[in-house]
Amino acid sequence: MNGLCELSSYIGPMRLKNPVMPASGTFGYGEEYEDYVDLNRLGAVIVKTITLKPRIGSHPHRSTEVPSGLLANIGLQNVGIEGFIDEKLPYFDDIDTSLIVSIGGESIEEYVNLGKILNGHTRVDALELNISCPNVESGGIHFGVDPKVTRNLVTCVRDITEKALIVKLTPMVTDIRIFAEICQQCGADAVSLINGLPGMAIDVKARRSKLGRNTAGALVGPAIKPFALYLVRQVCETVDIPVFGIGGISSTEDAMEFLIAGASAVEIGTWNFINPKITMEIIDGIEAYLLENNLHSISEVIGTLS
Amino acid sequence: MMEYQVIENINISLSYHKLSLEIPPTAKLPLPGQFYTVRCGETKDPLLRRPFSMHRLIKRGEAVHLEILYRVVGKGTEWLSRCKVGEKLNAIGPLGNGFIFQEDVANVILVARGIGIAPLYGVAEAVLMRNQGARIFILMGARTKERVFYEEECRKIGRAFFYTDDGSKGFQGNGPQLLMHLMERKKLPQRFCMYACGPSHMLRDLADISEKFDLPGQVALEEHMGCGLGACLSCACPLRASYIRRDKHWEKPSLQWSEDRRQVYSLICKDGPVYDIQEVNWNEWVV
Repeated sequence: MNGLCELSSYIGPMRLKNPVMPASGTFGYGEEYEDYVDLNRLGAVIVKTITLKPRIGSHPHRSTEVPSGLLANIGLQNVGIEGFIDEKLPYFDDIDTSLIVSIGGESIEEYVNLGKILNGHTRVDALELNISCPNVESGGIHFGVDPKVTRNLVTCVRDITEKALIVKLTPMVTDIRIFAEICQQCGADAVSLINGLPGMAIDVKARRSKLGRNTAGALVGPAIKPFALYLVRQVCETVDIPVFGIGGISSTEDAMEFLIAGASAVEIGTWNFINPKITMEIIDGIEAYLLENNLHSISEVIGTLS
Repeated sequence: MMEYQVIENINISLSYHKLSLEIPPTAKLPLPGQFYTVRCGETKDPLLRRPFSMHRLIKRGEAVHLEILYRVVGKGTEWLSRCKVGEKLNAIGPLGNGFIFQEDVANVILVARGIGIAPLYGVAEAVLMRNQGARIFILMGARTKERVFYEEECRKIGRAFFYTDDGSKGFQGNGPQLLMHLMERKKLPQRFCMYACGPSHMLRDLADISEKFDLPGQVALEEHMGCGLGACLSCACPLRASYIRRDKHWEKPSLQWSEDRRQVYSLICKDGPVYDIQEVNWNEWVV
């Protein structure tokens, strides 16, 4: 129980204290937010995508603002799995909430290797397979747009890990429900959606991309929320495993929309940049919503769209 | 993250504005070169916080006022320019690392273009605080005469030279060209430290002069930022793998090396925005 209301749930073997998490890639390795967020209060922490080798990431001039959104091409800059385990993971020894590690690879073998390496670390509670980053090959969309490849990947990773397994889906497919169903069939414990949509912005004076040498980037932020909500609803109607709703959530009301649509939990992304305390505010807000409506558990809200 | 009350918000010239905020008693005080991210608006468009460097810190009795110079360039700064005295702004800061000063600093040259003067004024004040006898030279310019602002203020803190692209005011040319011109005519001391802020190609040209004549320098870089906290990795800047300052005062918690360690990126919001002028890989940085 969190105060007067039950907010917790289980995703496979992983306990979520409450349904509010930061989205991978918007929360660094967690420690960046320690001045603003009590990490212990989060449903779980999801760190940025880790690859086998360190990645320097995309060329400079990686982001630009568009109406109610952000175009970003970071290119999965990360410290690599060794760096993560040596430098970033120990920080979580003193943090009392579940830890989800997002992983990305250039081949199925790389995802499997990452999973095997993380098996040796009990502090890691779950893997989120990034098969939807629109900007890179590794952890990229390639694994998330071909049903056969997705099936292969999820099956192979499921085989080697008993940690909770979440698959982060891309909206860049004809029917996202097919991919969610495959994940369910292959033993994923949850699916999370949506990752960013590819997008562009051009400086017409210079006739150049506003992202420097990076022609395109991922469109994220409030601009994508209605679309994300629609896909989350579609997927919730199709699969029985939990769904994590992601896409432009900036308030308790936004989070409630996803929960009512059927999401078991939400991930907050871009809005962490605007209000670094937003995850805390949404946790409080959800609790207040339950109390105001005389509800005792978050389960009384999830999927109640009439 | 705190609320800062607007004390003054005035138009200086054309699109240039000066904002003065009261620093809450519990807030940290900024150093020259450090910056704040300010929420510009209450809606989702403009979306992200906008980064602004500290311009000056002014003590008025018990209160400390933070001055910010800004240019209206888009929706965020336009919203900011409409803020009224007495209103509150949500700001995070001070962020990043400020300029470094040697205790015995004697000769300082500030090179600015347009709004680039914003963080440099505090440099002059900090230098004079350390050494009242320090000589400050300011090279300030813009595209045309109309766009040169802050003339009086520049003259107040040191010997000011102006330049314009079209020659309508002062020297015809850009900042680095004016610097060379003054050096060739022995109008400047033999040895000096350079502090600069402005367009990246100007900073690159200054870096060339710094290298050629073995003159130390520091620059404050500007870039679009997502979070300002080192999390979103938007503001990556390439550094020279062979020349990275990591001595005292030059901490760099956010370096990311390539696998072969031949390339390295630094986050401007955490490691910067101030860099040694020789650290930046200008060829990669300048578009």
